Amino acid sequence: MEYVSPIDERVRDPIPLADRPSSLEGKRVALLDITKARGSEFLDRVEQRLREHGAQTFRISKEIFSKPASVDVIEEIALRGDLTVEGLGD
Amino acid sequence: MPDLLLDRVDGGPLSLTALAPSVLIFVHADCPTSMLALRRLAAVGSLDVVCIAQERPEVAARLARRAGFMQTVLVDPAPYEVSRSFGVETVPTAMRIDVDGSAGEPVVGWDAEGYGSLLGVEIEGEPRSKPGCVARGLFEEPLGGLDELEDMFERGWSDGLPVVPPTPERVEAMLGGRDGGRSLGPVPPAQGEATLERVAACAVLAGCRPAYFPIVVAAVEAALDPRFNAHGVAVTTQPAGPIVVVNGPVRERVDVNGGMGALGPGTRANATIGRALRLVLSLTGGANPGGLDRATLGHPGKLFCCFAENEDASPWPPLHVERGLEPGASAVTVFAGDAPLSISDHRSRTPEELAATLAWAAAGQWSPFWWPMDDTSLFVVCPEHAALFADAGWDKERVRSAMFEAVVRPAVELRRGETTPLVHAADDDAPIHKWTRPEKIVLVVAGGEAGRFSAVFGPCDGMKSEPVTKEIRWST
Repeated sequence: MEYVSPIDERVRDPIPLADRPSSLEGKRVALLDITKARGSEFLDRVEQRLREHGAQTFRISKEIFSKPASVDVIEEIALRGDLTVEGLGD
Repeated sequence: MPDLLLDRVDGGPLSLTALAPSVLIFVHADCPTSMLALRRLAAVGSLDVVCIAQERPEVAARLARRAGFMQTVLVDPAPYEVSRSFGVETVPTAMRIDVDGSAGEPVVGWDAEGYGSLLGVEIEGEPRSKPGCVARGLFEEPLGGLDELEDMFERGWSDGLPVVPPTPERVEAMLGGRDGGRSLGPVPPAQGEATLERVAACAVLAGCRPAYFPIVVAAVEAALDPRFNAHGVAVTTQPAGPIVVVNGPVRERVDVNGGMGALGPGTRANATIGRALRLVLSLTGGANPGGLDRATLGHPGKLFCCFAENEDASPWPPLHVERGLEPGASAVTVFAGDAPLSISDHRSRTPEELAATLAWAAAGQWSPFWWPMDDTSLFVVCPEHAALFADAGWDKERVRSAMFEAVVRPAVELRRGETTPLVHAADDDAPIHKWTRPEKIVLVVAGGEAGRFSAVFGPCDGMKSEPVTKEIRWST
């Protein structure tokens, strides 16, 4: 039987993962706070550890955890950072 | 090896010779071992494996997508000439082909060692082997394929209940001459494009009459409005789902129930319009429960939740007029909410008492000590309760205000378990309300004429999901 699919059946190309760095030395790491409760405390500790490994860090936030990051946030991370750490969940 | 041309699922024809050297794997969608083999190969990663599916392109694409198989997929539909030329009697069957046109020894069924040596890798995990299935073309298939209702489940085009198969004829009738290619936009979280044709397919699956389609379209438009935040509502661990309230003349035109049992089963329009919106979100949008829909529990109202406002029994302006539309317009308003809580009050004789009863029922919403909530609570006020307010001359504003003022506690009593930063920061005796402001209390009238049972839907808290109203347009 032929049916009309309710699903968008287009096959999308997989998005390749970025290369992983061998060292954190001198790398610029974006710490993305999605605004979930106490996420910033988790990122404080991650930031401290990253700096001990020679990384530079900067903080950036989403408007709210329940929405995808805005284009502005993504662009800023892409422009300023080599790596991103995102604090998910509560 | 003959040089055969096969169609790719996502493009034009490809010559088998051009693919050599590679490993071919023949599969079909009715064979669990084929699915197993594709999934295991997908997990192994980037290898020169070419899948040849004994299917039509759309079925082959679905099979590959469900298996997570991202490499080349070709189709060999009936009469399965390519499969026959390779002597394939069982699926899956895999073999290596070389540039000189030779084909190696086949591996039949699932055989982890056999596939490992074919690909030159170690394939780990259980099961190590599993018998295959008879290849298509070698058994007589019932005309029209499987039982069509079972076929819908197999495709995943369901919410757990049987659906109406979306044949081209039914979808065309649902579209009613509208342009099926017109898009209402991408549906989060998977961003599938909500063409009117796909929305119509969901409406058919849900069991809608074509007369309901304009309401379904308006509900989808409302849910895709950024203010609704369909992404957050779809993927959250909260149980929330969409609640559709229908207003205006359309209620009578297609019999959307706002009277007795309005929130329950028994009315086709309520059940199928609400269900169609859910199917657009879960199928076109990819928010399937347990997949991208991460709800810890969910609730039964996520199957469908749609009802009309009982405008005839309401002493107040209807919801769509309150939200800026003309009284003669028909509209849907879509909320994100949890399961409804019933509120019995057969004893209150003053509007103050009744307002307090209704509001205190919602005091435990989201979490008992989470005050204030900055999201909408949707109260469904039954006609007898509405009449008590009306007899006292209370308009909606007065009711809302009294409800807001009734539910207040000192901060010190709320410093337990899950509470808000505001409560933590407040002085012990600072008064804290359940809502940030009265406007977060929305009132609609629905239900049968007898019985003093109202209800309240809890909000999708913290999501920044706002109710969205859209006018229903009859010709699009």
